[in-house]
Amino acid sequence: MIQYSLHENGEYLDVKLAGDLDIDGTEVIEEELIPNMEKYQTVNINFEGVRFVDSTGMGLLMNMVQSLKEKGIKVTISNVQQDVMNVFEILQLPEILGEEIFI
Amino acid sequence: MQSIVAKGKDINEAIELGLKLLGTEKEKVSIEIIQTETKGFLGIGAKPAIVKLTKLEAAEAQQAPDKNDVIEQAVSEINMEEVAVLSGFLPEREHEGEHQIGTKEPDALVGKAWVKNGALFCKTSPTHFPTVTIGEGVKLYRNHELVKEKTTIVTENDVYEIKVENEKKDTKWKVWMDEKKLKVFLYVEPGYKITRKLPDIEPSQHIELVVEEYKEVYNTLSYADVMQKLESLQVAHQFIRQEQIVKALEAKEPGTYEIATGVSAKDGKNGWIELNIDLRSQSGPTVNEDGKVDYREIRKIPSVERGQVIATVHPPVPGLPGVTVTNEPLPAKQTYPVVLQAGRGIITVGDKIVATESGRPQVEQRGKLVKVSIAPKFTHTGNVDLSSGNIRFAGDVEIYGDVEKNMVVEAEGDIIVHKTVNMASLVASGAIVVHSNVVSSEISAGKNNMLVAELGHLLGIMQQNIEKMIGVIRQLTQSPAFKSSDFSRGGLQPLIRILLEKKFQSLPPLVKKYVEIVRKGENYLEDDIWREIAVSLTKVFLSLTNEVISLDWIIQLSRKMKELHEISVSPVKPDSYVSLPSALNSRIYCSGDVFVTGQGCINTKIHAGGMLKINGVIRGGEVYGRLGVEINETGSERGTPTVIAVPHDQKIRINKAMEGTILKIGNVKHALKETRYYVVACIDKDERIVFE
Repeated sequence: MIQYSLHENGEYLDVKLAGDLDIDGTEVIEEELIPNMEKYQTVNINFEGVRFVDSTGMGLLMNMVQSLKEKGIKVTISNVQQDVMNVFEILQLPEILGEEIFI
Repeated sequence: MQSIVAKGKDINEAIELGLKLLGTEKEKVSIEIIQTETKGFLGIGAKPAIVKLTKLEAAEAQQAPDKNDVIEQAVSEINMEEVAVLSGFLPEREHEGEHQIGTKEPDALVGKAWVKNGALFCKTSPTHFPTVTIGEGVKLYRNHELVKEKTTIVTENDVYEIKVENEKKDTKWKVWMDEKKLKVFLYVEPGYKITRKLPDIEPSQHIELVVEEYKEVYNTLSYADVMQKLESLQVAHQFIRQEQIVKALEAKEPGTYEIATGVSAKDGKNGWIELNIDLRSQSGPTVNEDGKVDYREIRKIPSVERGQVIATVHPPVPGLPGVTVTNEPLPAKQTYPVVLQAGRGIITVGDKIVATESGRPQVEQRGKLVKVSIAPKFTHTGNVDLSSGNIRFAGDVEIYGDVEKNMVVEAEGDIIVHKTVNMASLVASGAIVVHSNVVSSEISAGKNNMLVAELGHLLGIMQQNIEKMIGVIRQLTQSPAFKSSDFSRGGLQPLIRILLEKKFQSLPPLVKKYVEIVRKGENYLEDDIWREIAVSLTKVFLSLTNEVISLDWIIQLSRKMKELHEISVSPVKPDSYVSLPSALNSRIYCSGDVFVTGQGCINTKIHAGGMLKINGVIRGGEVYGRLGVEINETGSERGTPTVIAVPHDQKIRINKAMEGTILKIGNVKHALKETRYYVVACIDKDERIVFE
């Protein structure tokens, strides 16, 4: 189950994710997290606490980044653990979402 | 003259001992040191001192002469050298015995070696050393060291020892059964004992140490051993071949014996169809006696009359079951009857297949399934136009007039058109023959092969993609940070959607194209599997189905696609052909040969699954002959691009190739810049087009 904490700093929001980004997090992300993020101009998603992902979780992440971008919000993803990054790379997530968002 | 060899701990001791034995004093003998003592270490390697004492002449004169004196005196000098070389060191007693031989026949022994009682003796002369050749199974030691050379000289200064080797080997055997349990084999390798003995050898300047060998075979295999083993293999008694076991027990040489034999099953024969008529139709134009090619007598079509027996159905012949050596039944291969599908104009009477209509018999055999039908012939005497309508017929079609604008003629057999074809479409499963010009038309002969070829090509690309995708999914599931828990709930779709986003973004357009072609050509695709695959592909890659899709399901799909792809690329039997005098702005497809017999083709695309032969000219367009191309003239003086293509293993022959001609062999292209005559082009091992 995914957990998150929000650290706001004016127009900037830092989202710290913790736990597994998987199918069980669908509701949390779609109904709570995304509406919350939409209030800011710049959002960073900190992946430091994410150890495991599944394909649904990847779908959620893609959906999250793409819907925020559509609203003109600048999104970055940081502190991705190496094993999780490997999964991103197999799925070519950097190419899909844009290399520049991974910092 | 008396001499003696003595040994001692050191030289002094040896001399003293010798003097004592001779009963004389030091001054009255000459002393020859044969070997000085070696102390060795802790007694190992220690050697005694050996000396030879010879009574001097003066002293000898005082001795009482004996009967051998005369001889002895004559050979005294030689005798001085005399020594016996024995295995180990020399006991005086043996020396004396040897000495006696020497005294009896001194001449005969000089420079010679001999063997007595398994020991080597020799006597050197100042001018000659005896030589010894060491035979098989003999080891000669000189001063306790093995002599490695095959032939060596021997000297009396050394100590020799001969050893012969004996060999012994136990009986080896094993029993095993073949895979079908039809035979039991016994391999036996009898044991033996080889005793070697070195016989006495007469003195000679050269002797050969050859042993006498006695080989005794001990086959210790017993009947009880074999029977016990057979029992443990549960071999039934009636299959055991006692005489073979007895042979094995008596064997002197290694060998394999079949000691039990079951009864093998005899395969039967599947049911079959015996044809009463010759169905082979001679296809393609034939050359007559004048050397001219007659394109009108292009095919001899077999035909039957009403009531004629076409074929006889034979039932299967069952096989005979066998029995294994363990008394289990061994079933024969199952045999099957033919499954007869009586088509149009056919009835079966008992085992006979009879025609109820006259026409061309068609027999199609695929495994056990046999389809027999009579293809009728439709003859249309006028033109095919709006008044006649399109012609679609499940047999041969012959049209005496023209085929006019936008009309379609489709036949499951052959199509023969006696006049022109203009802006029309001809589709035949068999051959197409047009006796006049073809203009702006589509001609397709042979069973839906174009469609199959196109679909097969797409299928190949898609299958490779899917295979890669399976690889990626496997790689992902093995990634340490990846959880595959949601596969059981939502299937692979969420993952596939991500993969189609970027990594496999080329796949959905291919699937769309495939599905579209299948939908259009549905009526021409005999096999349902093309459609089934289209449905499956749509489900996974185009629609957002909620049905759970597993990796196994995708693997299955990939395998089906691969099989179908392989079928589609396997060469089509060129059973059809196209023959026409000339074509303009047309597309011609044929699974077999294509003959353009007249003026030739302008801006025409031709695909021949067999050989392509154009007697006239080809100007503009693209032609392909899977089994080679022969053209009289290509291109034009104005350099109209004309592509002539064949696969990489075929040749292109052109009598006159003008500018604009592009030769394409396999994937290699070559454009001609100027006119060339008698071109025979093929590809060399460096993938370059070369001209013969």
